[in-house]
Order: sequence, then structure tokens, then C-alpha cells
Amino acid sequence: MALEDPARMAYFLIRRTIGFVLTLLTVSVVVFAVMNVLPGDPALTILGIDASEQALENLRRQLGLNDPVHIRYLNWIGGALQGDFGTSHSFRVPVSELIVERLPMTVSLAISGMVVTIILALVLGVAAAANHGKPGDWGVMFLAQIGIAVPSFWLSILLILLFAVSLQWLPPGGFPGWSDPLGAIRSLILPTAALALVQGAVLARVTRSSALEVMRLDYVRTARASGFSRQRVLWRHVLPNALVPIVTIVGLQFASLVTGTIVIENVFSLPGLGRLIFQSISNRDLPTVQALVMLFAAIVVTVNFIVDVIYVFIDPRLKART
Amino acid sequence: MELSQVSVGFAGAVALRKASVSIAPGARLGIVGESGCGKSMLGLCLMGMVPDAGQVTGSIRLNGQELVRAPERVWRRHRARDVAMIFQEPMAALNPLKRVGDTVMEPLMIHEGLSRSTARARALALFEEVGLPDPAARLRQYPHEISGGQRQRVLIALALACNPGLLVADEPTTALDANVALRIIDLLVRLSESRNMALVFISHDLAAVSRATDQMLVMYGGDIVERGPTAQVLAEPRHPYTQGLLGARPGLENRGRTPDGRRKRLVTIPGTVPPLHDLPQGCRFSGRCGQEFAPCARQRPQPTALGQGQEAACHLLSPLHAGHGTCRGAA
Repeated sequence: MALEDPARMAYFLIRRTIGFVLTLLTVSVVVFAVMNVLPGDPALTILGIDASEQALENLRRQLGLNDPVHIRYLNWIGGALQGDFGTSHSFRVPVSELIVERLPMTVSLAISGMVVTIILALVLGVAAAANHGKPGDWGVMFLAQIGIAVPSFWLSILLILLFAVSLQWLPPGGFPGWSDPLGAIRSLILPTAALALVQGAVLARVTRSSALEVMRLDYVRTARASGFSRQRVLWRHVLPNALVPIVTIVGLQFASLVTGTIVIENVFSLPGLGRLIFQSISNRDLPTVQALVMLFAAIVVTVNFIVDVIYVFIDPRLKART
Repeated sequence: MELSQVSVGFAGAVALRKASVSIAPGARLGIVGESGCGKSMLGLCLMGMVPDAGQVTGSIRLNGQELVRAPERVWRRHRARDVAMIFQEPMAALNPLKRVGDTVMEPLMIHEGLSRSTARARALALFEEVGLPDPAARLRQYPHEISGGQRQRVLIALALACNPGLLVADEPTTALDANVALRIIDLLVRLSESRNMALVFISHDLAAVSRATDQMLVMYGGDIVERGPTAQVLAEPRHPYTQGLLGARPGLENRGRTPDGRRKRLVTIPGTVPPLHDLPQGCRFSGRCGQEFAPCARQRPQPTALGQGQEAACHLLSPLHAGHGTCRGAA
């Protein structure tokens, strides 16, 4: 009855939210520290090696690089909380503008990648478990093994060669934006496939072993003894009970999926955050890199926070323990 | 339901050998034996739920329909509606993610096409019938929120949902406290009587079988070694194995001291049940029996009718070997 107890639920949510905020705070300190111990002088990067010492000094002062480190941190985090991540050194526009411009691309790619990963993994994983020890099972596990072994950038190149160059069914890269929905979807198909085939292979294996674990349990026998069809037993009784480990892995995979977009966006020249972070690193564009790393970390922490809350809705037994 | 000459074999091992059992409507049959003697396998045969690796031969007829080689989808039509089963571990047998009310409503909605509200009303009536306290509140609870005895009552309600003609109860009381177990047994008997539903009660607990059933089978090593009216078999066990089971039962009669002043001891059957792939030739019980003679090691004993519907498969009782020895308890 814990779910019906709002006080308990609220207590759980408050506790998790405090943990969530503390984690983000820690992440911000680490990100800031790492960025600031990196060698290299941003002023020198901006003005070039021919700049006079006077000009460099002026720029350093203007950028606040001479302030003590804790002041710089507080300035940065204070601005970040208001959506101000400073100005990009290389693009000469506010970092927030760069992010807002490219966010939809990366969000579209991450969501489509995750959705396809989950569908692929659940269908193949459950099918493999249902055919445990038979050719269907071996087939799925063989493909999954290949999927795990293949690097996504190489898979991307193969997909481009086959579907864009030889067959010419799909564009090899670029993104027209959501104002052209059909074009946007067509452009997303190959990058999504490159992400989902690799991630889905890992998740399919987890789904299979988790489902096999559950299939041995007594309540699955009860469901069979109740005369339910195989499909009903699998999808209504086995899968929900197999979900907790699957959701855990989905949460972890989301992190590698987000970082995976860095590679995929570069291979398919998609104008997203992954490509932006790559360019910013090459340009030593400190404010942009710092903002993006913080943003990626925040996304991952947020997803894991959501996963924690989802557990409790999947398994009523966890509610009793919250 | 009618089983004749049903055998279940796994690679190199026989789990059940030529078992013939007939269950009339409303009859209550007990099956006893130690772990691994084939009694659960017999129960699974009644549900068509023998594991895939098992080879089932013989004949299994339900209301005249032959089901022994029937595919899963044919069996599925009979499960819950004609034959239902409850299992040993009431905690593990309920889906932990579903409210127990939803668990009981599921077969009603799937098999009988009832709407949610009608199914809920039926589930409520079933919860009342199986004696769950405050049934309306129980419907909304999860398995981990109710006690073991209540879970077993929920499972009985689930099994009864589609009005089966036969209920197979595989060790339904083993995991429960003694007084809870007694109430579950009485509930099963009452339900069997009020619904004219046949009951197959599988247990290693002779007291439970005595309370629950009219007829009983004793199984050992995949064979039915003795059968007959429950009261008769328990009062006058004829097979050495049945005698051993009864002797090994801690009860009031083997408390205290013997007339010569020694402390009475439980008589246990020596040894353990051999694994199915390593059963002795001849009589399965040879080696542990203690009353063996020449034919036991070589020859399978055939059932001998002993009157009043009792029969046992033991060479000591066979007219072929009459006069050789006497069974304890036969005198």
C-alpha cells in the first residue's frame, strides 16, 4: 500500500531529488576543475601566437582568467544557472545560443536511438529466451555478439556505403531540420541504426538472460497452468518481472548513447551537440567544452534519476522499502 | 479424467512408469511418497505440463478425449477450465507485480471474456468462497502484503476461477504452518464437496492425505506401489514401503517408552531414494526394504489385489511366492 501513501512517496522523491542536486553540484566542480588544470592559455588560443603580451593580458583580464579559481567557479556556475555559459571563443556567439540551435538534432537522435534500441532488444531478447537452446536463440545471440564487437563508426561507414552510396535509398549525412519532417526522418534512419544495432545487441543479451531467469520461477508456471497463451505469459508475466535489470542497463546505456552521438554526428555530419563538442575541443574553445560536458553529465544524471523513480513504479515490493 | 499406462521418460531415466489412475467427478485422491518418487510428475501429466524433455507415453483421457500427444494449444484450452493446479510455494507462485485481485481476474477476462467490473465481482465472490478475510481490501493488495495462508487461498481462488472439474494440489500445505495447513485442507475438501470438483492431493504428509482424501496412491521410484481407500491403506498398509512411511511418522503412538523401559524411537526407512537413472532392477524398493528375498532383485512385482479395493505391488503379497514370508501388518 506504499504507493497509496503520499507522505512516503513524497519522502522518497525528496530524498532522491536532494541526491540528484548534490550529484550535479559535484559534477560541476569536477568539470570545472578538469577544464582549468588543462594546459594552454585561452587568450593565446584566441589571439594567436603573434599577439602582443599587452593584448593577451588585456584579454585575460576581460575573460576573468586572472581571478582566483573559486571566484571563477562561482561566476561560471552562477551564470550557468541563469542559462549563461559565457561566449564561445571560436564562434564568437553566446554558448547558450549554440546549444539551443543544436539541441534538437542531438535529442532527436538520442531518443530515436534509444527507442529503436529498446524495441529491438526486447523483441529479440524475449524471442531468444522463449526459444532457449534452439536455433532462434543461437541466431539472436550470434548477431548480438557481432553487434557488440563492431565499432559504431565502422558500422556507420558500412551503412553509408550500402544504403547511401550503392543503393542511394537514404542520404549519406546532413540534417535538413524538422521543418522538413520526411527529410528529417530519412536523415535519422542510418545514424539511428548505427547507434541502435550496437546498443541493442548489449541490451538484447541482458533481456534474454533476465527473461530466462524469470521463466524458471513458479508464478510463470502458475500463468501457464492458468491456460494463458505463450505470448501472453511472455509479455504480461515474464517481461514485466524481467524489467528491473533491463531498466538499469537502459539507464547506463543512455550515457554511452549520448557520448556515442559524438562519433555518429561526426560520421554523418549532423549539426548536433556531439559535433559541436568535437569542434570546440579542436578549437580549445573552453567555455563551450565546459558547458557541453556539464550538459552531457546532467543528461546522464537526470536519466539515472528517472530510472530510480521508474524502478519503484515497476516493482511494488520496492515501494515498501523506500 | 483417466490415465492408463502413462509413463514419462527423460533421457536415460524413467520418472513415471505405467501409471493408471482414474479420477471420477467429485472424487478425492491422495498421492504420497518421498521427494523424487514421481508424484509431482503424475500431477504435471494431468495438466499436460511435463517439461519439454520428457517423453510421455500411454493414454491420458479427459472426458473421453485423448490428450497424451496433444499439442500445447489443445492442452491450454483445458487448463483452468477443466483442470487447474495449485503449487507448493504460495509466495513464489503469485506474480509479485500484480495485485492479487488482478491475478484472479485475468483468467476470467481472458477465458470467459468478462468485463473488468464483472470479473472483479466474480473475484470478490471467489475470495469470499475461499474464506479470505475482508475480501474487498484483499483484491487491491500485492502478494508480499498478505500472509502465506492467504496467498494459498488466493491461489485456490485463481484455480477455481473458471470452475474446473478437477483441481490438482501439489504439496499445497507443505510451506504453511501446521494450523494454517489444516484449515487449507478443510477448505479444499469443502470446495470439492460443494462444487462436486475432483481433487488430486499430492503430499508427503500422511496426516494431510488422511484428512483430505478418500482414495490414495503410494508412489516409489516412479511406480505406484500401493493403492486403495485412504482409511484402509493407512490402517492396514501392506507394502513394506507404505509401512515404512507410516512408521517414520512422528506421532503420539511412538512417544514415550516401550514396555521394557527403553525410549521409543522413530523407525525410519534406511537409505535415500535412489536417483531416477540409477534405480535398482527388479523391485524399485529393493535395497532399502529389509524384507527382500530371491525375486526382489530380479523381477518387477505386479500389483496384487488385497480386497476392499486395496492393492499393492510386492512379491511378499504375490500368490506366486505365497508362503515365503509374511509382511508386517499383514497378519
